[in-house]
Amino acid sequence: MSPISIGSGIRRRILLIGSVLVIGAACTAGATGLPQIIHARQNHFRMLGRIAKSLRDQVGRSHPNWRIVANDANRIERLASALPSWFPAGSGKGHGVKTRARAAIWANPQAFTLAARTLLDRARYLGQAADGHDLRALRLRTRGLGQACDSCHRRFRARGSWW
Amino acid sequence: MTAKGAATERVRVWDLPTRLSHWTIVVLFGVCWWTAETDHMEWHLMAGYGVLGAVLFRLAWGFCGGQTARFGSFVRGPSATFRYVRKLFGRGADDSPAPLGHNPLGAMSILVMLGLLLLQTLFGLFSVSVDGVFSGPLAKWVSFETGRRFTHLHAANFDLLLLVIAVHLSAIGFYRFGRKESLVPAMIHGFKSRTPSREVPYFVPWWRAAFLAAGILLCVALLVNVRW
Repeated sequence: MSPISIGSGIRRRILLIGSVLVIGAACTAGATGLPQIIHARQNHFRMLGRIAKSLRDQVGRSHPNWRIVANDANRIERLASALPSWFPAGSGKGHGVKTRARAAIWANPQAFTLAARTLLDRARYLGQAADGHDLRALRLRTRGLGQACDSCHRRFRARGSWW
Repeated sequence: MTAKGAATERVRVWDLPTRLSHWTIVVLFGVCWWTAETDHMEWHLMAGYGVLGAVLFRLAWGFCGGQTARFGSFVRGPSATFRYVRKLFGRGADDSPAPLGHNPLGAMSILVMLGLLLLQTLFGLFSVSVDGVFSGPLAKWVSFETGRRFTHLHAANFDLLLLVIAVHLSAIGFYRFGRKESLVPAMIHGFKSRTPSREVPYFVPWWRAAFLAAGILLCVALLVNVRW
């Protein structure tokens, strides 16, 4: 075998391996898209919980820091408005990432959108109470926010096994 | 008459505060379980405060209540418990009369259950719900992440409690079907039948329980509404 034909054989193999790697990487990228979306969603919810706790801590004070309250209310409103986009079609169970998102989210999108809308409304009420420095209203609105969260969890979030 | 034909007498064993605290814990534990499972966290917190109050009351009543409620009258050491177990299965030579109130095994069960319930409510006080809104009254002293860790401890301890409750219910079943002794009715009406004996437990005036309950109610209310 001539040195030229050996060189072209190696080139063909490198090309073949390269093609396999590129195709494999493309397929893998497609497969990891949804797990990444689920991870990102969980991070968003963690962020939402962290901010809501910060707000609740202020509500529990005799003299809340209204600047923190307004900031938290604003951030909750922004996250609440983006919430429906965290649930693209197909981002439920079965992608190798533990998720408690129920299939009902995609089976009944109108109900889910309405629940998200309720959360957004409650978040806006929070902002109004914060702007008015009305502690009594703020406590009431924070409770309303929690009730909106609970109501959504009851319908669209699966329970963890108690055993 | 007993199964062996001996005459029996009806004697008061459990006072009202002991029975009330027992059944309050039973009902509120069920409410806590259901509200946690169905995401009614606001109600879960309320029921949890009730459990905390009832457990604190029972613990305090164990030091200042009637004879059968007092820890000093029914908590026994390992050797006494071992003797009781041997006697229970017909292997011991112990001829002492059966305890009127809690037996040594029941005493262990009560200590473990009250301890776990107290731990459960303490974890709950610092727990943070997944949405961060309905959190324990002391959760303001911890970060979101630490509060969530307390919530996980709260959940793990709940599983332990279920295990202990299962053992407790199995023991009640064993006494009912294995030894023909019904423990549940006695915890409802407060009386037990026994062979005549000179031992009669003493009880304390009702106002002591009322003052204690009022004090604990005040403490729990202050704890829940603590502001700074």
